[in-house]
Amino acid sequence: MPMLEISHIAKSFADKKVLVDLNLTVPEKSIFGFVGQNGAGKTTTMKIILGLLPADGGEIRVNGELVSFGQNRTNQFCGYLPDVPEFYSFMTSAEYLRFCGEITGMDARKAQLRAQELLALVGLDKEKHRIRGFSRGMKQRLGIAQALLNQPKLLICDEPTSALDPVGRKEILDILVAAKEQTTILFSTHILSDVERISDEIAFLHKGQIQFSGNREKMLLMHKADGFEIETERGEDADALLGVFDGGVKQGRTLVVFEKGNEEQMDAALAHIVREHIAVRRVEKREATLESVFMEVVGR
Amino acid sequence: MNTLAAFFRKEWMEWVRSGRLIILLLIFILFGILNPAMAKLTPWLMEMMSESLESTGLSVTEVPIDALTSWTQFYKNIPTQIIVFVLMVSGTFTAEYQRGTLILVLTKGLSRWKVFAAKGGFLTLAWSACFWLCYGITYVYTDFYWDNSIASDLLLSAALLWLFGIWIIALLLFFSAIAKSSAAVLAGIGCLAFGSSILGVFPKISMYLPTKLLEAQALLTGAAKIEDFRISLLVIGVTSVAAVAVGLVVFRRKRL
Repeated sequence: MPMLEISHIAKSFADKKVLVDLNLTVPEKSIFGFVGQNGAGKTTTMKIILGLLPADGGEIRVNGELVSFGQNRTNQFCGYLPDVPEFYSFMTSAEYLRFCGEITGMDARKAQLRAQELLALVGLDKEKHRIRGFSRGMKQRLGIAQALLNQPKLLICDEPTSALDPVGRKEILDILVAAKEQTTILFSTHILSDVERISDEIAFLHKGQIQFSGNREKMLLMHKADGFEIETERGEDADALLGVFDGGVKQGRTLVVFEKGNEEQMDAALAHIVREHIAVRRVEKREATLESVFMEVVGR
Repeated sequence: MNTLAAFFRKEWMEWVRSGRLIILLLIFILFGILNPAMAKLTPWLMEMMSESLESTGLSVTEVPIDALTSWTQFYKNIPTQIIVFVLMVSGTFTAEYQRGTLILVLTKGLSRWKVFAAKGGFLTLAWSACFWLCYGITYVYTDFYWDNSIASDLLLSAALLWLFGIWIIALLLFFSAIAKSSAAVLAGIGCLAFGSSILGVFPKISMYLPTKLLEAQALLTGAAKIEDFRISLLVIGVTSVAAVAVGLVVFRRKRL
């Protein structure tokens, strides 16, 4: 059984259609990257999953149970990390986690042990100050801790790394990878390198629909790019290459890209480089990247 | 039920740590002391002013001071105290909407009615503590200086004032469910409360109005009987229950 099943969800705000017939299936124990531009509807989708917003049509099942707006029965399976998590700033992180344990009806002793474990996981176990003075990264880490507290079957993270510096981002991604042992993770982002780094499955959201969904390797294979590129040491050599081989386009001073170039042409170019003793920095076969696939999907 | 208690404890912690509880208690204690103190000081104040009044042609005769003078102060000051209370607590829901702190609580599966009930319960408890503390202090001092037994139905008439506060809390719950900002909550309560007191100048309808309860002082001298407040009490009861019920229904579907 999939952990999350979204079928035919539609949602409009006033006359703006945000989601049109959205379908998505998140398998158990995966890290699912939910990619889309700003304003594509990622947050809206997540809020509907959590019953914080009503959908105009369609249905969502979490762990097999139907989600309904306002009533949050299915939320017992979910942990949620909003893009900017807000806590009761008059509490310390340990107090906040204890409060979370209490409102989810966890056994007090179990909750306390779990809170200690999680605070250590996110590196806040030595932090005794109130949340009022926390930095964004610290709040994000506490956000993950509270989301994982009741061992949710599904962890929903809304742009967990967008507001963070490189160090903070790496910390969050590492925590998510560590959390994968315990739960299924759905995280939204527009930072493709984050998706590349940790996710097993990917979905691209564009124009209110899922444009592609599935395994990362499969996606890159399906969108195989052609061609090769050569970067020379000197600008004159790059110009010379353009004169010898057809179909090249110069990018910058020293880079020549052959977008439609095949293997034979690449061999010929290599032979030419050796023969003429051209100093090159690199010769590379072009491969599809998430970025190129994403650009293709959004039609840029 | 434990989850409700957990949210209630969170309210307690917030009230204590933000200083809101202690400030409210201090204000109500201060008024509790001030009521008899003002009564006690009245003759002295009059004497002070008598010289300047004489020069304008007014002569001051001795004013009789007794327990009722002190209770008059109590009844005169309670509306101010209610306004202070409402100003201090009007953001109890809206501050959470604006900061987004309820999102995590609700996505953890805490039922919305429990949030509503815990906040409503805490407000009621806080109001009761503040009010009866003020009443108790006024009572003790007044009894010490004069004699409370000359006033009849002291407790009953105070209970009517307390109920008026409960009505205000019910309105606060209702407006907090429909509004997004504390300014809107204040405006809603203000319109109804002041509207009621303005309409109170028409004798024909004043008996139907919630603000009629603020005249409960008349019970002390026997100028009014509890029967005179019957309709007003009924109106308060019905509108309070309706405000809380509708508020809860709206809150359960509110977008956060």
